[in-house]
Amino acid sequence: MTGYFVRRFLLIIPTFIGITLLVFAITRVVPGGPIERLMTQIQLGGETGSLERSQGGGTLSDEQMEELKRYYGFDKPMLSSYAIWLKKVLQFDLGLSTRYQDPVWQIIKERFPISIYYGLTTLILTYAVCIPLGLAKGMYHGSALDSWSSAVVFLGYALPSYVIGIALISMFAGYWDIFPLGGFISDNYDELTLWGKASDIFSHSVLPLIAYLAGSFAVTTLMMKNSLMDNLSADYMRTATAKGLSRSESVRGHALRNSLIPVATSFGSNISLLLGGSFLIETIFNIDGIGLLGYEAIIERDYPIVMGILVISSLLYLLGNILSDICVALVDPRIRFGERSGS
Amino acid sequence: MTLFKNPVAKKRWQRFRQSRRGYYSAWILLGLTLCSFGAEMLANNRALLVVHEGKVHFPIYGDVLTGKDFGLDYNYEVNYRELKKSLSNKDGWLIMPPIPFGPLETDLIAGDFPPHAPSVDTRHYLGTDTSGRDVAARLIYGFRTAIVFSLLLLVFNYGAGVAIGCMMGFWGGAFDLIFQRIIEIWSNIPFLYVIMIVASVITPGFWTLLFIMAFFGWTSMTWYMRTATYKEVARDYVMAARALGASGPRIVFRHILPNSVSTLVTFVPFSVASGITSLTALDYLGFGLPPPVSSWGELLKQGTENLEALWLVGSVVVAMTVILMLVAYIGEAIRDAYDPRKFSFYE
Amino acid sequence: MRNLVSILLATFICVFSLDVKALPETLPTDLVWQTNVSDPIFADPNAKRGGRFRTFVTTFPLTLRLVGPDSNGSFAGYMRSNNLSLVGIHPDTLKPIPELATEWAFGSDGHTIYFHLDPDARWSDGTPVTADDFVYGLEFMRSKYILAPWYNNYFSEIITGLVKYDDHTIGIEGATPKPQNEMLFEYSVSPVPAHFHKLDENWVRDYNWRIEPNTGPYLISEIRKGKYIEFTRKKDWWANDKRYFKYRYNPDHIRVKLIRDLNIAYQYFRKGELDTFPLLMPRFWHKKATGDIYDKGYVGKIKFYNDVPQPISGLFLNEDATPLDDINVRYAIAHALNVDKVINTVLHGDYERLETAHDGFGDYTNSSIRARKFDLKKAAEYLDKAGWSERGDDGIRVKNGVPLRVRITYYNSGHNDRLVILAQEARKAGIDFQLQLLDASAAFKQIMENKHQAAWMGWAGGGLSPRYWEFYHSDNAHKPQTNNVTNTDNKALDAKIMAYRTATEKETRVKLAHELEQMVHDQGSFIPTFKVPYTREAFWRWIKLPPNHGTRTSDALFDPLGGSGGLFWIDAEEQERTLEAKDDGDSLPPINITDKTWVIAP
Repeated sequence: MTGYFVRRFLLIIPTFIGITLLVFAITRVVPGGPIERLMTQIQLGGETGSLERSQGGGTLSDEQMEELKRYYGFDKPMLSSYAIWLKKVLQFDLGLSTRYQDPVWQIIKERFPISIYYGLTTLILTYAVCIPLGLAKGMYHGSALDSWSSAVVFLGYALPSYVIGIALISMFAGYWDIFPLGGFISDNYDELTLWGKASDIFSHSVLPLIAYLAGSFAVTTLMMKNSLMDNLSADYMRTATAKGLSRSESVRGHALRNSLIPVATSFGSNISLLLGGSFLIETIFNIDGIGLLGYEAIIERDYPIVMGILVISSLLYLLGNILSDICVALVDPRIRFGERSGS
Repeated sequence: MTLFKNPVAKKRWQRFRQSRRGYYSAWILLGLTLCSFGAEMLANNRALLVVHEGKVHFPIYGDVLTGKDFGLDYNYEVNYRELKKSLSNKDGWLIMPPIPFGPLETDLIAGDFPPHAPSVDTRHYLGTDTSGRDVAARLIYGFRTAIVFSLLLLVFNYGAGVAIGCMMGFWGGAFDLIFQRIIEIWSNIPFLYVIMIVASVITPGFWTLLFIMAFFGWTSMTWYMRTATYKEVARDYVMAARALGASGPRIVFRHILPNSVSTLVTFVPFSVASGITSLTALDYLGFGLPPPVSSWGELLKQGTENLEALWLVGSVVVAMTVILMLVAYIGEAIRDAYDPRKFSFYE
Repeated sequence: MRNLVSILLATFICVFSLDVKALPETLPTDLVWQTNVSDPIFADPNAKRGGRFRTFVTTFPLTLRLVGPDSNGSFAGYMRSNNLSLVGIHPDTLKPIPELATEWAFGSDGHTIYFHLDPDARWSDGTPVTADDFVYGLEFMRSKYILAPWYNNYFSEIITGLVKYDDHTIGIEGATPKPQNEMLFEYSVSPVPAHFHKLDENWVRDYNWRIEPNTGPYLISEIRKGKYIEFTRKKDWWANDKRYFKYRYNPDHIRVKLIRDLNIAYQYFRKGELDTFPLLMPRFWHKKATGDIYDKGYVGKIKFYNDVPQPISGLFLNEDATPLDDINVRYAIAHALNVDKVINTVLHGDYERLETAHDGFGDYTNSSIRARKFDLKKAAEYLDKAGWSERGDDGIRVKNGVPLRVRITYYNSGHNDRLVILAQEARKAGIDFQLQLLDASAAFKQIMENKHQAAWMGWAGGGLSPRYWEFYHSDNAHKPQTNNVTNTDNKALDAKIMAYRTATEKETRVKLAHELEQMVHDQGSFIPTFKVPYTREAFWRWIKLPPNHGTRTSDALFDPLGGSGGLFWIDAEEQERTLEAKDDGDSLPPINITDKTWVIAP
């Protein structure tokens, strides 16, 4: 078993290369790179007139196009520029953003705290709500509580989070003025007391958190409920009852642990969500998170940032998968990974 | 139809019927889906039936009839709503569908700018969108696209996911490892990129979009299936089957699949729901089906940009919630039905 | 020493690489120096200084550089307009007015200009602005290190030389003779502070976030990345009391906040956290900007008609793509576009039909041209003539079994509803429009490579006269990466374009421009669509405008900077009164202004 996990860790290397190479290749195929973006900016007009005229325009010579290509690193063949990029990554250098001209790592790092804050809070709250709720729904299957909570959870799931976000901000921030209109902290954050800072962050994060959470309850809750119900009717539960345990005791002592298996499977993959964050919610609430950064980088063809986020998120994802397996192995000793079971 | 003669299947059907909520939801959803297949007869700017100078036309499923065919002075498609007003009894008569507007047709109401509010007089029962197209008509056509899309996606994803996941879990070893790598690589490709590349070459249509989504969607199902298979393989009855000399395929199809399918079935409602929501989200972002195709995402986009026209966002959100809840209730009922053990709580 | 080298370099480039006559070594004595201190001032002497003006952008700037990659975003306007030019344009009379130069004179060869610089002019760090900064400016703009090939081209091909005669006198030479007025603006070089820059291959990165000394009224005082940028007015700006700068640029601070979503930005405005809000879009003006704050007079609305060059927006038909090579098909498409219906539905009747490619250029605009109207009969005639006379079962015209399909490439999802209506209407004529929405970069690449059939787009307008060579000359046809996206290749048009390019007399140029405009119209490869000849904005009551509200060329009324901007001021007492009234729910007289001073008679 230990050998299996060691092997899994070693396998991260080829997978990582596979992922980055593939996406690197894609960035070369995507039409409209940074050069086209530059030209678009210079030449396209809006809807209203203006006396000012950009001194751009006209056409570029081939040498000038080559010059631009060299600057953005498009002059070399794909594989050799990939090798250069990979070598830099191994030296912990993710390169410079083609838009901000700042180091990619620094840009991503600046956004870590915000994304981790929202990611972690969402994760904790999801599990804190879904596991008990799923348990209750499983134990009292068919009751009014079960029906109504299903309805509520699915309403949250059916409404896209960005719609919830816009509705919340229009009502609670725009109309009633209870919460601020977005941002992560106030402009005068540094001048606040410790308590002031805490309540400032809290008041800024209530609305986005609701938007994040609304959609995330359904899957985990139902997963929890179903797996609990599977276990409630298992033989060992009968044994437990025969032993004289009360229902709640036997659920706590036996069924709970087993029904956490599918939930545990999903835990690992949630790790990478820590740094995800929906760019739509981040746009609406003006939060400078990783999700928004990644989306803008894709739209605006900032390849170093795209690749930088990919490096971090794919590593997290790969580790998360292993973590999932470890979790599954921990909660269910019967599962033996990697051992050849076919005959 | 051995499926229904099978006593297990019969029992499942009975159990499914017993959970009333799911059972009724299934009928409602089936009804809605069937209705949407006849969307042309529910919402259309063409008449259901025209009787004109002794001739009977069914314009919905026939060729385009121009104004000249009805003695009017224009050479493009006839406007049936106006035709209805102008036809006197002796020339003929026609029947319009309940919603007399097509999903692509822009209707101008004098003295007001779109979006028009819902009104019974104008027969825009849910109002119009910002181009003056009937919201109800677009909802119906959009529902058809979404449900067909998501069902097809489900079939693709589950087909690939179950097959590969099962093999991964059953064989383990190198096969498992290689496919794990492939899945890991797959799940890390930024989805938006691929959509953008495709969009730059061709406008992504229904099938292209479906193909791309399936191309990336099979991985999660594979992952669950693999874990489930691992769990089953480790169980005593599989050992027992092996000891009895059962072949690999037999173990998979007779033992592992039926048992792991119950975990799988709980995901079906989520898959249908996520098919609908991800198509909607793509449309919302403008990477989905090309305009002017009716889509919920496009309507939602208009709705969020025009929050003061509440009927836009309201009708999509209500429609989405209703559909997704129906799907969820059905999923619950299916799960109850499939569970081989009747719920017996040991008190 | 450095400057000497750069002069030598500049002269070298002029003499050897471009083969035009260089500027004389000494200042000619026969020059007639001109200035303009007699045009009316357009600011309000009652303006009050002070306060903080709060506005927003939807994307945070990627750089503070004025040139180089990403220096063209929505924030660039703030940076640019804090750098004065040699000569400005009077926003009402369109005559030149002094900015960094006090006087100017034209050389006898017809393509050189001489400037006397204002000795008062100072960089924000107190260093005087001298001729050396202009010499350096040209060298800078020609440098490879700034990674701005368009500027490189412009400042070597269009502006061919710059000579310093003394600390406050320079001469600039352009490539070709032009009317004097246009030369003043086309052959202009902005000074670059030589003492600030160090040009090398790292310049783009090293100077990305550095605050360059400037000559304008404000300087950045605070940057909070991803949040806001604040400008503060210079304590004693050198141009404070100059005739055309007096009473302008009144707020002490300008805070430009980042708000990524326009709808959310409106919420900020409604709450009073932004001072003004643009309401150009019909749905904002008609549906959003209503309610208590307007009825009770806390917030005013203004619609101000202006008279400026319009963007060239419409449908560009690629003549290299069948069936658009047939002029009859092009005409038919023009007659099948129901632009009026779009205006009267989704655009709330607010936009106007753009009649011709170049609108808002004053005398240059050929106002006798009318865009082809939606007319199914004419469309049918032209299509019949082109051989598309049969109709298929679906009502689409067919020729040799091929249906009449035109793919329209566009990049703004906000235009979906407009195109949908056009496509629906065009079906009546038997033309099937296939709409292809791409994101801006992908669309632009497709169009630049001439892989489009029809492109729905708008080119930036601007300038004092229309440009034809870029868009219609056959030198640019059938080639990727040119602005001739219609691939117009017409010898008669070519000849006229060249005549227009070399003409120097305004009268001839105007005449040629009118003829060219007619030929472009006859070519039928560009179908003009919409124009917006006004600006519309909402503002809180405490923001005050002069009695004339704006100028002929105001593209925005509450632009805190720029040639026609900075006219408003913040009234602190009024702010107190308004906020008090708002708290108590009291009504104030509503403000609803429509200013048609500069409306162009149709």
